[in-house]
Amino acid sequence: MSERLPPTEGRPEPELPLGLAARLELWQRAGGVVTPLLTTIFAFFMGGLVVLVISGKNPLNTYREIFTGSGINWFGSYCSYPCTSSGNLQQTLIQFTALVLTGLAVAFAFRCGLFNIGGQGQYIVGTVVAVQIGVSFSSLPTAVHVLLAAAAATLAGALWAGIAGILKATVGAHEVISTIMLNWIALWVASYLIGFGGPMQDPAAGPVPVTKEIASSAKLPVVWGSQLLQGLHVGLFVALAALVVYWIVLGRTTLGYEVRAVGFNAEAARYGGISVSRSYFLAMAISGAFAGLAGSLDILGWQYRLDLTSVQTYSQIAFIGIAVALLGRNTAVGVFFAALLFGALKTGTSTRNLDPTVFKPELANNLTQLIQGLVVLFVGADVLILSLWNVRRKLRLPQRKRSPA
Amino acid sequence: MPDDSLVLELRAITKRFPGVVANDRVDFDLRRGEVHALLGENGAGKSTLMNILYGLYKADEGETIVNGRRVSFGSAKDAIRAGIGMVHQHFMLIPVMTAAENIVLGSEPMDGRVLLDYRRARERVSEISRTFGFHIEPDMLVQNMTVGQQQRVEIVKALYRRADILILDEPTAVLTPQEARELFEILRSLKAEGMSIVFISHKLNEALEIADRITVLRRGRKVGTVPRAGATEAALARMMVGRDVVLQVDKGPPHPAETLLEVRDLHAFDDRGVEKVRGVSFDVHAGEIVGIAGVDGNGQTELIECLTALRHRASGTIAVAGRTLSPHASPRDALDAGLGHIPEDRHRHGLVLDFTLAENLVLHDYGKAPFAARGWVFPRRIVQRARELLRQFDVRGGGPATRASALSGGNQQKLVLAREIGRDPRVLLAAQPTRGLDVGAIEFVHRRLVEERDEGRAILLVSLELDEILSLSDRILVMYEGRIVGEYGPDVSEETLGIAMTGGTLSGKAAAA
Amino acid sequence: MERASKAQAAAAQEEPRLTAPTATAPGRLASSRLLTPGGVATLGIALGAVALWLVLPPVTSRTIAVPLVVGAAGAAAGGWAIRRGGRRIGWGAVASGLIGMLGGVFVTRASAAHLSDVITWSTLVSLTLVYMTPLLFAALGGMFSERSGVVNIGLEGMMLMGAFFGVWGADRTNSWVLGVVVGVLSGALLALVHAYFSIHLRSDQIVSGTAINFLALGITGYLYNDIYGEKGTPGDLPAMPNVNLDFLAAVPPRTLGHFLQDSLSGISLMTLLALALVVLSWIVLFKTAIGLRIRACGEHPRAADTVGINVYAIRYAAVTLSGMLAALGGVFLSIGFSHSFTENMTAGRGFIALAAMIFGNWRPFGALWATLLFGFSSALSPQLENVDAWANYSTLFAALPYLLTLIAVAGVIGRSIPPAADGRPYRKQ
Repeated sequence: MSERLPPTEGRPEPELPLGLAARLELWQRAGGVVTPLLTTIFAFFMGGLVVLVISGKNPLNTYREIFTGSGINWFGSYCSYPCTSSGNLQQTLIQFTALVLTGLAVAFAFRCGLFNIGGQGQYIVGTVVAVQIGVSFSSLPTAVHVLLAAAAATLAGALWAGIAGILKATVGAHEVISTIMLNWIALWVASYLIGFGGPMQDPAAGPVPVTKEIASSAKLPVVWGSQLLQGLHVGLFVALAALVVYWIVLGRTTLGYEVRAVGFNAEAARYGGISVSRSYFLAMAISGAFAGLAGSLDILGWQYRLDLTSVQTYSQIAFIGIAVALLGRNTAVGVFFAALLFGALKTGTSTRNLDPTVFKPELANNLTQLIQGLVVLFVGADVLILSLWNVRRKLRLPQRKRSPA
Repeated sequence: MPDDSLVLELRAITKRFPGVVANDRVDFDLRRGEVHALLGENGAGKSTLMNILYGLYKADEGETIVNGRRVSFGSAKDAIRAGIGMVHQHFMLIPVMTAAENIVLGSEPMDGRVLLDYRRARERVSEISRTFGFHIEPDMLVQNMTVGQQQRVEIVKALYRRADILILDEPTAVLTPQEARELFEILRSLKAEGMSIVFISHKLNEALEIADRITVLRRGRKVGTVPRAGATEAALARMMVGRDVVLQVDKGPPHPAETLLEVRDLHAFDDRGVEKVRGVSFDVHAGEIVGIAGVDGNGQTELIECLTALRHRASGTIAVAGRTLSPHASPRDALDAGLGHIPEDRHRHGLVLDFTLAENLVLHDYGKAPFAARGWVFPRRIVQRARELLRQFDVRGGGPATRASALSGGNQQKLVLAREIGRDPRVLLAAQPTRGLDVGAIEFVHRRLVEERDEGRAILLVSLELDEILSLSDRILVMYEGRIVGEYGPDVSEETLGIAMTGGTLSGKAAAA
Repeated sequence: MERASKAQAAAAQEEPRLTAPTATAPGRLASSRLLTPGGVATLGIALGAVALWLVLPPVTSRTIAVPLVVGAAGAAAGGWAIRRGGRRIGWGAVASGLIGMLGGVFVTRASAAHLSDVITWSTLVSLTLVYMTPLLFAALGGMFSERSGVVNIGLEGMMLMGAFFGVWGADRTNSWVLGVVVGVLSGALLALVHAYFSIHLRSDQIVSGTAINFLALGITGYLYNDIYGEKGTPGDLPAMPNVNLDFLAAVPPRTLGHFLQDSLSGISLMTLLALALVVLSWIVLFKTAIGLRIRACGEHPRAADTVGINVYAIRYAAVTLSGMLAALGGVFLSIGFSHSFTENMTAGRGFIALAAMIFGNWRPFGALWATLLFGFSSALSPQLENVDAWANYSTLFAALPYLLTLIAVAGVIGRSIPPAADGRPYRKQ
């Protein structure tokens, strides 16, 4: 009988290239919660090192400032100067809301073996649709208006991502390239729409590229803090609900089963009768829906209008979503904590929170990006983390002759 | 005529992998000019031993002596330099490159310091192949060659590097009986030129035909070395397995009833647009096993894919239990029509290794009652069913919540069987069902297939192993170049089948040599 | 990186199924090259392009029938090709024919006088070459990396590093040459990180590449803000030399000579370097021993290993080279083209280069045609803004190169064949 498996006789070792979902699942078995913890610490450590090397400043001070700025200290009443921490925490939670959703957007696609880098475009599409609906239909009662805007934005995000999904499903176009192109297309189309002379620009604003503000019936009620001071809006609960929905869909529905099967082994799934194309499309569409929803919540919750700068800056949150998903290893619980971490990081390094003497605020954004990049880098190297965790294995790595682990 | 000087000696080689000792103090030696067969069933440690010799693995203990000198190979390059060449079971050839490119890779003839001298490469290749009496087209792409030709490229690869010890790992696994015969001719001619050859196999009859001496390994240990003179198949089999092996499956006569699978004039193309199935027609009745024999690549894979709706057929009809399968049917439709499919590659197609056993067992039916309703899945019922099936099919190595990757090959195949047979299909398609399994698992699968046949299912067996076809089938069809070229009863000789498998040319040469 | 699921199933095995061969490179259809579906479809694509060209200066045909007929012929050729089995490229011809027809109709309705102002072919050609250059460098780099088996999504990040450090280096040393050196080195360093994670640690190469892009954004943004802050990069950066090709005016006939002179003289040295690199890459990849080994590592690393080739070393070298080339493209972008640096100035070009590489089927000359096409679309959009009727839509035109890339990714190149082991980490046993 021909031995199909390579010379590791007798072992059930599949010498297959692991699918993306399977690789990301690998750590779950190996490290539990320790792995992402280690990854985060390592990334922060490296980030601190970079800060030290480049600017000569003490990274610990920087990190403490960031911590204070994030408002997490509100929980422990650890508050030195006039306590602005509640305001900061509200900000952090606002970021958290968006990050949970953009994180889920990436995570859901990952579970199906797809890499959705198109969160930015899907987010933008969501914001544009939300603004448009928020600005029109001002005679609707709040609940209906909000629901309409959010639903439309979610659908728009789903459709935008669906384009990439269809391309993948039909012609096999790699979703990384197609979603990135869609990002840029969305960016420029949005820029056109709200730019000077564009159809969505507020005529009263003169040459400034900004839309009208959405009707008050479309604004989300605030649950903590004041509406005027950008308090925390009900979107938080939507995000938490989304986490639950994510968990339920993947674990308790037939769609979830299909998505997971395709993510692990698309060929076997096909043999089993699952339509791989359909799964690819649905996974991308649902991903896009999460991202579109994120966009709508930001608009309806605190932005209230769209201007050119914000199109370009706030949509970056989708990229942090990638780090969130990877750090959270595509699980609902993981995304929760990772979103919290990155939300705190983002708020803590935002311009108005950071003491300029400790750290130049313009640089802070880049520092976040750096740490983000490091997290993604280390998270992608499951073997590195495994080896840090298992010293014995690490000793075998440099050896040329290794047992197939 | 082999003389007594040893070109190769392996002493007390031990190699451990996590969880298993692949080689346990194995001794092996090779005389100059002899063909020495290394025999053992799957998992016995033959390939591991030779990979150690070839420098791909490092032994944990023991020593290697080549031509009287102790050596320690750090890589294949060292082994090559010492004059050892290996023809792997899975060819180490690059399909999109030519024969010449494959052969000279790594030791390329240079024109000046940088450019590759293609002309000299071609010349050397022609030279070598001519010396040993076969022909290779240097500029032919490997992917356009027959398996027999590819194997010859592998051999020339070793000869180009001036090997005088040649290791062949299961070389006849992919050949027809005629091609195997040709290979043996080549080996004899190599022997005459002074080459020493190690021939790894699990096929007793081949070892007896070509080898001067035979060493048997079992579970990582050497059982013994015997000269060919006086060795018998039964004795070797006993050495290989440790007990008396029943070489034939205990099978009662078939009682064929109604036609459950009807295929008429099926045509299909492969991904490159080449027509692979060219008008195949046959029936399978309830209560019989029909075996399709043929060399890999003659359309069997595409045929199965059409039957399971994994490939769109170009034309022809398929009917399962009387109902025709639409040309636009999805794989799910085919399964619902009453087909069960044991795919030839259980890792790639049969199982989702990262799913639990329970999840794998419902791979077809996860969306239907009682496991789900309106898109909502009921995990408890899935686990329950899994427990039943695991017990019925004696799947060992874990429970419903274990990951499929943790199971051994045999148990994984039992898992696939459990899933497929557990759905009570009318027709069962089994493609290479015992690939890579040990004897115990093979016996189980064979027994089970016969049992299912007696339950009244129609079974279509596609296998590259003639022994399996001969021992299981009630009727045998031979497939060659996309057509059924012959139908035989179970008493047909291997010789006849072999001829039919290569297009029936009585001269005995492979068609596209 | 594109894969048909079936080809992936076969090609994804470490031991390829040699008996049921995987798909061949596209284009190797029947023996006669002209009457094949592929040949006819290519003709169709050309007809579509011609239909559009006919209504633009200098021909400026004003008859609406002209683009309609020619374009329709192109689309018909595509249709014929589709029925004969050349589906992918046939649809490309249909698309081209339709674009020719629609574009032709659109243009004939615009005012003729403006057209001459707008569509100056010589400007278009020279701009195309300029836009093509960074893409070509990056695409060639990506090609080497992927040919050796490592997917390099981080081209964008490496390009960005080159862009920033090229400016920084040129600024500090007041020499564009040293700027290039510094830029290229920065790309190489970033590439080494990617190489280490992808090859040694066998991390998922796409995730690792994405991380590289984040890192590059962070590092360059950080340093840019730290060093140059609000004022931006200095306006007096040493410039890259242009090559004077005025002798082209002597090419007969006179109109052609003048056209060549207008469009090509003053071409940047880097552009010429890029073109030379295309030829060099072709020679290295297909005519040298090292090229054979690189390709072997990308197709069947285990086979290469068994003949003693050091797969790790080759992959490291290829990835580092790709970083250097991508950075070179970035350096051209900053020093050679915009003479400055702004955050995230690469704007997705690294990914366009990646698409170009795939479009070009992982071959140097293929990358050349593909980057020419994408460069053309980038060159076209600012020109189109000059058309009065379309002034309002000027922002939209910025999306043109991305849209074109998307169509290319979706349409003609959907199922191109990468090196068989591309993207799969190799583990020495």
